[in-house]
Amino acid sequence: MTFPIKEKGHRHRVVFKRRRMPGTNPPSSSASASSTLDRALSSDPQDLHQQPGFVIEELPSGDEGLDFLSGGLGHPVAMATSAAMIPDLFTTPPCIRDPLNTGTSQLQDETIQECLPYLSGAEYGLEYNAQGVPHLDRKRHIPFLHKSLRNLPAPYVVADASRPWMFYWALTGLYAMGEDITQYRDRLISTVRPIQNATGGFGGGNGQMSHLAPTYAITLSLAMVGGEEALDLIDRKAMWKWLGALKQSNGAFQMSIGGEEDVRGAYCAVVLISILGLPLELSPESPSWSPEHTTLLSGLPEWVAKCQTFEGGISGKPDAESHGAYAFCALACLCILGDPRAIIPKYLDVPRLISWLSARQYAPEGGFAGRTNKLVDGCYSHWVGGCWPLLEACLEGPSPSHSSSESYSIKKPALEALGRSLYSREGLIRYILCCCQDETKRGGLRDKPSHNSDSYHTCYVLAGLSSAQHKWHFNATGNPMEAGLTRSSAYQWTSEKVVEDSQIYDEEDRVRTLHPVFVIPEGAAEEARAHFSSKEAF
Amino acid sequence: MAPKAPKAPKAQPKAPDPPEEYPTISAKLQAEYLASRPYQVLKDTKGLSNLSASEKAAYANYRFLETGVWKTWGAAQQKEFLKTVETQKIPTPLPLPRDLGRDNKGREIASYTPEGFAQFRKKERQLSGLRRESARFRERREKARRKQKGRGIEDSEGEIEDERNRRKFIGVLQGKKMGIYEGDPRWDDVVPIPQDDGEGALAAIAYSDEYAEAMGYLRAVMAAKEHSPRVLDLTEHIISMNAAHYTVWLYRASTLFALEYPIDKELSWVNEVALENQKNYQIWHHRQLLIDTLYPTISSDPTAIHALETSERDFMTQMFDQDAKNYHVWSYRQYLVRKLNLFNTTELQSIEVLLRSDVRNNSAWSHRFFVVFSDPAYCTPGSAATAHDPRIPADIADREIGFAKAATFEAPQNQSPWNYIRGVLRKAGRELASLEAFAEEFVKLPSESGEGEDVRSSHALDFLADVWAEKDETAKADTALRLLGDKYDRIRRNYWEWRRGLLDAGVEGKMKGLSVEDVS
Ligand SMILES: [Zn+2]
Repeated sequence: MTFPIKEKGHRHRVVFKRRRMPGTNPPSSSASASSTLDRALSSDPQDLHQQPGFVIEELPSGDEGLDFLSGGLGHPVAMATSAAMIPDLFTTPPCIRDPLNTGTSQLQDETIQECLPYLSGAEYGLEYNAQGVPHLDRKRHIPFLHKSLRNLPAPYVVADASRPWMFYWALTGLYAMGEDITQYRDRLISTVRPIQNATGGFGGGNGQMSHLAPTYAITLSLAMVGGEEALDLIDRKAMWKWLGALKQSNGAFQMSIGGEEDVRGAYCAVVLISILGLPLELSPESPSWSPEHTTLLSGLPEWVAKCQTFEGGISGKPDAESHGAYAFCALACLCILGDPRAIIPKYLDVPRLISWLSARQYAPEGGFAGRTNKLVDGCYSHWVGGCWPLLEACLEGPSPSHSSSESYSIKKPALEALGRSLYSREGLIRYILCCCQDETKRGGLRDKPSHNSDSYHTCYVLAGLSSAQHKWHFNATGNPMEAGLTRSSAYQWTSEKVVEDSQIYDEEDRVRTLHPVFVIPEGAAEEARAHFSSKEAF
Repeated sequence: MAPKAPKAPKAQPKAPDPPEEYPTISAKLQAEYLASRPYQVLKDTKGLSNLSASEKAAYANYRFLETGVWKTWGAAQQKEFLKTVETQKIPTPLPLPRDLGRDNKGREIASYTPEGFAQFRKKERQLSGLRRESARFRERREKARRKQKGRGIEDSEGEIEDERNRRKFIGVLQGKKMGIYEGDPRWDDVVPIPQDDGEGALAAIAYSDEYAEAMGYLRAVMAAKEHSPRVLDLTEHIISMNAAHYTVWLYRASTLFALEYPIDKELSWVNEVALENQKNYQIWHHRQLLIDTLYPTISSDPTAIHALETSERDFMTQMFDQDAKNYHVWSYRQYLVRKLNLFNTTELQSIEVLLRSDVRNNSAWSHRFFVVFSDPAYCTPGSAATAHDPRIPADIADREIGFAKAATFEAPQNQSPWNYIRGVLRKAGRELASLEAFAEEFVKLPSESGEGEDVRSSHALDFLADVWAEKDETAKADTALRLLGDKYDRIRRNYWEWRRGLLDAGVEGKMKGLSVEDVS
């Protein structure tokens, strides 16, 4: 199978050579990118074809031979120095590859070929540091997000029901990159006011039905810009009633009245309940009220537990396929309901979940995929990447008294020894900085090199980057099992920078921290929560 | 511009000769204005002191005329004055040409040619005539509507058609197409509600006129809670412009149900929309609402159920042709299996077709697991996907293990069947060790001298690490995990190291048995 490389300037194509004999040993793990290249450059082409991995084949029009280095891949010198610093894990295809070709393997191979030039410090338009990692190009990404808040042309009509997300994505991304987002406070307030419905909640726009997604996006945006006027424009009492109407007798929440029910609903609803300090009791007017079902949280974690699949991951609703975005929603939901050390193992099979989440990270790409046998995508840097701080807190806290969760809890020194993480921070950071940055004047971050940037990916790729650059601590207070549904555990997180001797990115490329559960600036949720808890009950 | 006044003092001052053709209507009006004040022009060109006595007298009279001061005089004096004016042939001065303003394209009307201006005036007269007629039509309908207390009013189709054409014509004349709903007499009773965007709205979208108008009418019908056939047209129209509009879908659904609209008709329309909007998920929720409504009406009719099952499966096959991993379609399929009780061999075969074309389609694997291990015929209701279900028959578990094993031989590095096998073993309550020999087909650990190592599947190695931990063969398990971290799955090194740590703590075995039930 051959894959033409689309980038301009390339006059050769890269051939992915399947292993002929299933029993052949993979290339030695010490083979570096440059040695692979050296082989490619010096060997007889006949030889090359016997090597697994990729080799270079001239196109009929090519006249420069095997010029992998100079044939349009930037400065050969820069390339040579940086390639030497990049672990071959990120520059060579996986060592085991099945001969059988299917649609899935074809797409996967294409994605690897698409990413390799970016990962090997060989892409035009990118400036790499000594570790083979480009800088975070703030001067293009920041204007990209500011622009997304200005007037949008007619084709954006397809986003007419999800405009509030545009506010949230842009503000979160801008904050992460160091911008002052309070400059948007007044305009945000006047923009969202006509979107709130008197019956509680916000819709996608003026006159649209209330929906949990835009309500989540707007509430968090208001919390981000902060200030009394912003926070107090939310009609909490109406919101509480509306949440009661969305609550289902099986424990779940509908996204809108008569709408779908899924894990997003569970997460969005508890975020609102928590930040706005809403009463937990379920209004008897709620269609789901019964003597056994009297609070907004009744049956909710049990319902979330039903979304764990045989694979170990979490699906959007029971019976469906494990999916990274829902894994984050489920874990974050549980971490609002209680102490992660107790509540996660109580409702989820943690070893299977960790195994599934861990398998989402691919090499050489380094990024996360959303499902088994799907492709890496920048947004999972948050959806999957954001699960790690929550799970690590679940594992590394002082052992709770609960016996079975103790059985796999890991002592702090052990995690320290693992580079303080269960996943490869380096892999994720390489994928983000090498493959997810739009290198044209457009700016913004993206799914993968063949995709255009958008504010959704810009936000979640940056959130993933932030999470990979920081370590979160859950500051336990007391016995987690006695705390029960404490409702305060979501406010017990603090962060510190991950500083490594062999740090692959420069300090200027570190972004600001986002709360591991609410995904807004660290401290914003705490302030909003404090503001509302000072209010009288209604 | 003004031509020179004649020199002869006795001669009548002549008005400037109007040119035959004026470039613009404003030039023409200006010339006419000057032509009606010859003595003013004369005075302006020659200067008052250079006028002859008779010219001075005529100028004075012209001034009286212009200022209207003569109207304050006595009747006799007035009569005398008018007589003089007549003798001196002083024309009545025309008023200063007024500003003609701009047309609807922003052009100065003053810049029209005189002919263009005449046409413009004619069009204006035509327009106001049409508008008057249109207003009378609306008034008549409104009155009739009030009499009928809001119920539909019968107007002859002809009359409505006439009015529709009239509005089209109005649109043409005013050079600005009338909106679809504004131009449709059937919508006259609805006052559209414009979008309130707030001051300096963020990320405001420049809607097309068509979309903005339709949304204005939707807000109005929603506010009035109107559920009528025309709402179906309106929602279809909006969906054609923006299929990701949940409000429109939900309102359409409630309208369909209020009207008891035929579900099969709606389903086939939704099929078209879905094929054109692969990524849209509102469609699938809408479809679910349709089936929820349809099902009770056919639940006792096995033929009807079977027909529905077949047509739905065919449609999903079409969708999978474009994207066999479409999450929304699969979620809908899981819903449908429970709703129509499709825990049957046709369903399993249909999944096998997909797996034959791509054995790595994890969505298909996931669906198979659901169909096999949620079948109410033999499963414990509500048993968690990660939990042992003692009611699972051994032959079912054997069959599924066999199925997954076969797939594993096709592509050992395909994670899907490995996850599936683990899932089956957990469900059936069997030990991982029961498949040790199978997994070893893909793994040869190196001998002590480091020779003979052959690993064809990192997932097999992972599986064996758990098997050996289960059997307390810790050293072998440790080797397997080390190989994974150092060689076969290096990106997950931290994870494998963590697993090694568990091995040291001797909890790996305990951990495996851990399930939701055990903890709660
Ligand atoms: Zn994405």
